[in-house]
Amino acid sequence: MDTARLLPLVVAAPLLGAAVLAATGRWLPRLASDLLGCAFAAATAASALLVLFRAGHPGPGAYPVEWVGGWRPVGGSGVGIVLVGDPLGAGLAALVSLLVVAVLLYSWRYFDEPPRHHTGSFPALILVFQAGMCGFAITGDLFNAFVFFELMGVAAYALTGFRVEEPKPLQGALAFGVVNSLGAYATLLGITLLYARTGELGLAQIGRKLDTAGPDGLVLAAFVLVTTGLLVKAAAVPFHFWLPDAHAVAPTPVCMLLSGVMVELGVYGVARVYWTVFAGPGGLAHPAFTRALLVLGVLTALLGAAMCWQQRHLKRLLAFSTVSHTGLFLIGVAVLTPEGVSGTALYVLGHAGVKAALFACTGVLLDRYATVDEHELFGRARGLPVVGALFAVGGLALCGLPPFGSGLGKAVTEEAAGHTAGWLPALYVLVSAVTGGAVLRAGLRIFAGAGRRPRDQEGEPETTGEEVPETGQRLGRIPAPLVAVPAALLTASLAIGAIPAVASAVGRAGALFTDTGGYRRTVLDGRAAATPALPPPHWQTTGVLLGLLSTGLAIALAALAVRHPARTGRPALLAPVRRLQSGHIGDYVAWLAAGTALLTVLTVPGIR
Amino acid sequence: MSFRFRLWVFLVGAAGFAVLFAVACFGLPAFGSGHHPYGVRAVRASLNHHTANVIASVNFDLRAFDTLGEETILFAAVLGAVVLLRQTQDERRKTPEPAVVHPRVRRFALLTLPLALLVGLYVIAHGQISPGGGFQGGVVTATALHLLYVASDYRALERVRPLTVYEIGEAAGEAAYVVTGFAAVLAGSAFLANVLPFGTLATLSSGGTVPLLNAAIGLEVASGVVVLLARFLDQAVEIEEPGEDEESGDPREIEKPRESQGPGKPRESEEPRGCGRPKESEGPEASGASRDDDNRDDKRE
Repeated sequence: MDTARLLPLVVAAPLLGAAVLAATGRWLPRLASDLLGCAFAAATAASALLVLFRAGHPGPGAYPVEWVGGWRPVGGSGVGIVLVGDPLGAGLAALVSLLVVAVLLYSWRYFDEPPRHHTGSFPALILVFQAGMCGFAITGDLFNAFVFFELMGVAAYALTGFRVEEPKPLQGALAFGVVNSLGAYATLLGITLLYARTGELGLAQIGRKLDTAGPDGLVLAAFVLVTTGLLVKAAAVPFHFWLPDAHAVAPTPVCMLLSGVMVELGVYGVARVYWTVFAGPGGLAHPAFTRALLVLGVLTALLGAAMCWQQRHLKRLLAFSTVSHTGLFLIGVAVLTPEGVSGTALYVLGHAGVKAALFACTGVLLDRYATVDEHELFGRARGLPVVGALFAVGGLALCGLPPFGSGLGKAVTEEAAGHTAGWLPALYVLVSAVTGGAVLRAGLRIFAGAGRRPRDQEGEPETTGEEVPETGQRLGRIPAPLVAVPAALLTASLAIGAIPAVASAVGRAGALFTDTGGYRRTVLDGRAAATPALPPPHWQTTGVLLGLLSTGLAIALAALAVRHPARTGRPALLAPVRRLQSGHIGDYVAWLAAGTALLTVLTVPGIR
Repeated sequence: MSFRFRLWVFLVGAAGFAVLFAVACFGLPAFGSGHHPYGVRAVRASLNHHTANVIASVNFDLRAFDTLGEETILFAAVLGAVVLLRQTQDERRKTPEPAVVHPRVRRFALLTLPLALLVGLYVIAHGQISPGGGFQGGVVTATALHLLYVASDYRALERVRPLTVYEIGEAAGEAAYVVTGFAAVLAGSAFLANVLPFGTLATLSSGGTVPLLNAAIGLEVASGVVVLLARFLDQAVEIEEPGEDEESGDPREIEKPRESQGPGKPRESEEPRGCGRPKESEGPEASGASRDDDNRDDKRE
C-alpha cells in the first residue's frame, strides 16, 4: 500500500480507539481499558513513524500527499481536503503519538479510581486529544486545521477539569476554554476572509491565489486573525494568561501533553500558515512578520522567565517555563530561515521530553506528599534519590546542557537568531538560565534540603494545603511507571541531541518546510520537491560554550537562591507583572483584544 | 486589574480590531457578484455523484474529513460532559418525585412526540435529497424523546432512556463513520472515498456513501444529545450536593465544598487579587446554581 494512504490513519485510528473505549469501557477492567488505549495510541505512533520514515527518506522524491476521499484537484483547483506528510508535520504527529503512549503508560497507576461506569473515558479523551493534535500537524487545509484545532481544544478543556471534586480544575478549565474559544473565533473569521478572497481553503491553493495580486487590508486582517488564534494556543504574550491557570490544576499526565506538545503546535501553526499562505509576494512582507513575532517572542520569553523564577507552586513554575520557552520558539520561527525552523524543531523535540519528564516527577511528589509547594516540600523528598536525580537532570537539560536535544535546539536556534539580531543569543542564554535555575533551585530544596528553609514572605498567599494526590491516597512505594516514564523521556531527549542522524533529518525537514514553492508544487502538481542542500544542524563550539554558560549561570542562580532565600524571592519591582495574572477571565479577554490590536500595529508595514 | 483598567485595555484592543475588520470588509468581493469559484466546482462534483443536496455532498463527500472532525468534537464534548458532570463521592442521588402535569400539556406532548420522532428520522434519511441530514435530524430525534419529560415526569423519561444504550449508540455512530472511511480503503480507494454506486439522482438510495455517513452522524448526534441532556438533568433533578439535605450525615462532607472556596479564582494563583468581588466569580457558584433543585418546579403547573 502507498505510504500516503497511511496519513488518514494517523487521525482515524485513535478516533476508532476512543469510540471503542467509550462504548465498552464500562465493562472492561481498568487494566484492559488502559491496554486498549495504549494499543491504539501505539498503532497510531507506528503509522506516523512509517509516514515519517518515507517522508524523511533522503534523496529526491516527493513527500506523501493524500487527498481524502480521492478528491485530487483537476487543473490546480479542487474541492477536497489534502493531508501532507512533509517531514516536519509527520515528525510532529509522531512526537505527539509517542508522548501520548508515554502519558498513557504513566497514568497506568496514576488515577485512583476512574469515573464510575466510565472506566474508559480518560484514555478515550486522551485518544481524541491525540487525534486532534495529529490531524492539526498533518493537514494541508486551513479549515480542516481549524476543525482539529477545536477538537484538541475540546478534549483538552475536559481533561483539564478532570478532577471535578475540587473547584480549581474547573476554574482553570473554564479560563482555558473561554480564552481558547475566542482565539478560535478569530481564526475562523480570518479563514472566512481568505475564503471570500480566494474561494479556496487549502493552504497551498490559498497561497497561490493570493500571490496573483498584491497584499491589501484584507490580507493583513486575515493574517492577524488567523495568527491570533494560533498564538493563543501557543500562549504568546499577551495571550498567555490561560496557560499557567490551566497547567497548574490539570492532572499531571494531561500537563505532560499540554506543555510538551499542544502549546508547541500553536507555534507550528503560525509557521506553517505563514510559509504556505503568506510568504509569497501577495502575502505579508518578511520583515513585518519577523518584527511582529520577534517582539511577541522576546516579550513572552522574558515575562515567562521572570514569572517562572518567582513561583513556588511547582506546576505553575513549569507552566511559566513553558511560556518562556514558547517565546524562544517564536523567535526561532520569526527569523524566517531554514536554520531557524530546524533549530526550533529540534528545540521542541528536546523540550517535549524534558518538560514532560519534569511534570512526571512533580506528579510523583504530588502523590507522595499531597503538595507541590516548594517551601512546604523543603527537604522532605530526601528519600527519593532517583526521582531527585531525574528532576535535576531535567533542570540541567532545560538550561540547554549539551548534548541534550534541548541543548542542540537552543544552540542551533540561537545561532540562526544571532544572524537577525546580535543580542538574541544573549536572550536565549538568559532565559534558559533563569528557567532552568528555577527548576534546579526547587530540586535542591526539595530533594536535598539544601540551604536555609525559605520563609514565607509577608503578604504572600499560600499555595499549600489544597492539593489532593491524584492517586487517591498518598503513595507509599513509587510504582515503576512513574519513574520509568520520565527516565525514558529524558533518555529520548538526550538521544535527539546526541545522534547526528536525527539532527540531519530535522535539518532536511526545516529546509523542505521553508520551501514555499516546493510545498505548493508537491501538493497541487504532484511534483517532487527538490531536496535543498544545506549543511545539517550540528554541535558547534559556540553553541556548546553557550550551552555550558547558561547551565553554569543556572547552577549559580540556584545556589544563590537556596543560600539567600529572602533576597532572591519575589522582587517588589515585578509586583505589577505578577498582578496581571489575576485569574479573572475578563482580564484575559481584554488582553486578547489588546493583543490583536498590537499584532495589527506590528504587521501593518507588511502590506505596503 | 481594576474594572476601569480592564475596560480601557479592552476598548483599545476592540478599537484596533474594529478598524482592522472594517478595512478588511472593503476588500471583500462585491455583494451579489456571480463569482463563486468553490460553489461552481462543488455543485458540479455533487451532481457527478448524484447527490441532489449539494450541502450534504460537501459535508459527507467532498469534505467528509472535516465532518469526521466535527462529529468528533461533539463526541468529545459529550464525553467531557459525562466526565465533568459525574456524581462525585460526596454527592448523593435521590429519587425524583412524580410530578403533576396539566392534562392538556400531557395530551399535546404525547401527540407531538411520535410526530417529532418521525420528522427527525425523516430528516436524517433524506439528507442526501433535501435540506437536513444527520446533524439536524439527530437533534430533532433527541428532542422528541424529551417531550416525554414534558408530558409526564423524569421517571417516565428514564424508563425510555436507558443511558447505557445511548452511550453505546453515540460511540457506535462515531465508529461507524470511521469504519465507513476504512471500508473505502479496503476497497482500494482513498479514506472516506465515495465507493458505493451513486444511484439515481434525487432518490432515497442516491449519493453512494452520503446516506450511510448521514445515518452514522444521525445516530451519534441523537444519542449524544440524549446523553448530554441526561447529564444536565441528572444534576438538576437527581444529584444532591453535600449539605443540601440535613440528613446527609457526615459533617466533614458538608464542610468541604464549593461555596467555601470563595471568590473567583485559584487561590493558588498566588497573586494578590485586587479585584476579588464575589459577584464576578465564574466557577463554583455558577455550577452550584445549575444544580438547583427548584428550577424543575418552575416548569410545572
